Amino acid sequence: MTNRKSENMQANGKSERFIVPIGPQHPALKEPEHFRFTVEGEIVTNAYVRLGYAHRGIEKATEQRNWVQTNYLLERICGICSHIHSTAYCLGVEKLAGVQVPPRALAIRTLVAELERIHSHMLWLGVAAHEAGFDTLFMYSWRDRETVMDILEQLTGNRVNYSANLLGGVKYDIDQEIADSILEGIDFLEERTRHYLEIVTTDALFLQRTRGVGVMTKTQAEVMRAVGPTARASGVTRDIRVEAPYAAYPQFPARITLATNGDVEARFVVRIEELFESHRLIREILANLPESDLRARFPRRIKPGETIIRVEAPRGELFYFIKSNGSDKPERVKVRTPTICNMSSVVKLAVGHQLADIPLILAGIDPCFSCNDRGVIITRRQNKPDLWTWEQLRQYGIGYYDGNNK
Amino acid sequence: MEIINNLIALLFFPAGLFLLVLGLAYEWVDRKLIAQFQNRIGPRWFQPLADTVKLLAKEEVVPEGVNVALFKGLPVVALAGGLTAALYVPMAGLPSTYSFQGDLIVTLYLLSLLTLCMGLAGSNTMDRFSLIGATRTLTQLFSYEAPFMLALLGPAMAARSWQISEITAYTDGRWLILTQPLGFIVALIGLMGKLELPPFDAPEAETEIVAGAMTEYSGKGLVLFHLGKSAEMVIGLTLIAAFYLGGVANPLYFILKTLALLFIIAGLQSLLARLRIDQTVGLWWRYGVLLVLVQWLILIVGQRIIL
Repeated sequence: MTNRKSENMQANGKSERFIVPIGPQHPALKEPEHFRFTVEGEIVTNAYVRLGYAHRGIEKATEQRNWVQTNYLLERICGICSHIHSTAYCLGVEKLAGVQVPPRALAIRTLVAELERIHSHMLWLGVAAHEAGFDTLFMYSWRDRETVMDILEQLTGNRVNYSANLLGGVKYDIDQEIADSILEGIDFLEERTRHYLEIVTTDALFLQRTRGVGVMTKTQAEVMRAVGPTARASGVTRDIRVEAPYAAYPQFPARITLATNGDVEARFVVRIEELFESHRLIREILANLPESDLRARFPRRIKPGETIIRVEAPRGELFYFIKSNGSDKPERVKVRTPTICNMSSVVKLAVGHQLADIPLILAGIDPCFSCNDRGVIITRRQNKPDLWTWEQLRQYGIGYYDGNNK
Repeated sequence: MEIINNLIALLFFPAGLFLLVLGLAYEWVDRKLIAQFQNRIGPRWFQPLADTVKLLAKEEVVPEGVNVALFKGLPVVALAGGLTAALYVPMAGLPSTYSFQGDLIVTLYLLSLLTLCMGLAGSNTMDRFSLIGATRTLTQLFSYEAPFMLALLGPAMAARSWQISEITAYTDGRWLILTQPLGFIVALIGLMGKLELPPFDAPEAETEIVAGAMTEYSGKGLVLFHLGKSAEMVIGLTLIAAFYLGGVANPLYFILKTLALLFIIAGLQSLLARLRIDQTVGLWWRYGVLLVLVQWLILIVGQRIIL
């Protein structure tokens, strides 16, 4: 038996390397992704990530849908930050079509985006606490998260994929009754959030797991191009809401939340303090909601052109490139989600840490794997052309899987 | 007659059926309490039993590359260790079935058998999660075992005997928690380490190593380990209640005192985040041993002064 075991170990590596595979199916991961950590005892000496298990071909699928249908498809890129995807797309297409969106619609979009940020960050708080084995915080934060889910359901009729956005405006208006229940919910959430901030900064046992773990310096964050709360926890001033205000952020300016330590604790603190900022923005928007129509007329075809749009998703900078060829369908929609920008930091930071710290470091970037999975082909062999037709790609795919099955 | 009595002791009371049922009941109380502390509803009363029956009915998958005899035998040995230990403990407030000078040490070793079997079972397979889990299980064993044992020897020193029945006769009505509070704390937390309950659940941290040493176990093997752990929880609670909380002279005291301890354990489980394995070891050797040695010092000096 001993012989078989050592043979097995050697078959997997040239020397006596001990590799711990995490994923594609693993309790720590809520979505399929594959990580390989080489460990010596409990210390990680090398890390490797393989992306692409949940690639769904959404970018390609947009080319078969018209501008309106694409909106609903793109909203389904992410189940947590669905509204921000639709917002980015709508803002981009509206810019392309030269349509002026009524101010009330922009304010409501921003309001829903902030509610979504609250629900996303509270979800993350629970998941990250669970990764650290602190299930009580997990249960409580998810219980309180139901408040914001109820608000979103009351406002739009849906808990996720709210489909609040239309090209040229929004679907749902906010009346006094909804405004009151939002304010009531926010008051409750603010009180609870203050409690959670106290827990993650004072609970001695929890701090042992987060303080000084996975430290990313400001320089590292800049070099690895980290985005969103992950970067802000390392002191990088990068927040699209502040740098390049979109939607209603010019009227309701957001304040940037920063921490300097760059460890997992700082990521907790930054995200929780962002919740307070969201509460403030929501109150401000509700108090000063502009009066206007909810939507502007929108053309069916859009004149040829291309544009980029950047928005601040709960996980960081979300980037859209949209190209029109004058028809009623987009020629190209390119999406870059924040997780892919932060993924390199996980691989980098994991090295030198204990295996037990890995789930927290991974959860620290708030990964959303299905959003970031891309079909990427890197090949310089066989004189393959740079531009592939659909048919060529199809043939390549068939050949790839045939070759792998043999 | 002798044989029949022995068989009853082994199969029904205090070991065997009684202990298994009590273990499942206490497991339910533990789960229900934690659920309530965490604002959840929690399982219904027969859930642990239903899990047991379900797992017993399931196929047991024996992975490739294991020693089959060991793989199948270790769960049986682990459960047998727990059940045997029950024979020397004043279960349900009744005097223990067997007793001899030094049975305290034997009981403590029988309780460690479960952890040892789990460590062996984990390292028997080729699964990486099992191997890391087994390493952590054994590392943890070496960290809590000494303080836990020393903490339970405190009452033995006070009673001037290594025989459980004599110690319980001494502690009956004497609340040693008042004179040996440090020993009580170490014993209770040591029991949590022994049972791999949070915050000492690094050996089975699901977000890192799936189910640790138990990853490859399914069906019967898994349920036997599980039952062994439940039995160990009951025995551990009984020992601590008997030694520190004024004895368990009758079944009512037994139930009340062990449930009170379980309440404290469930509260601690839901309050604390998981420790890393190096932090667990550090905690036990830096504070656990120190506390228990201070307790011993007080005890010895105290006895000198009194006598």
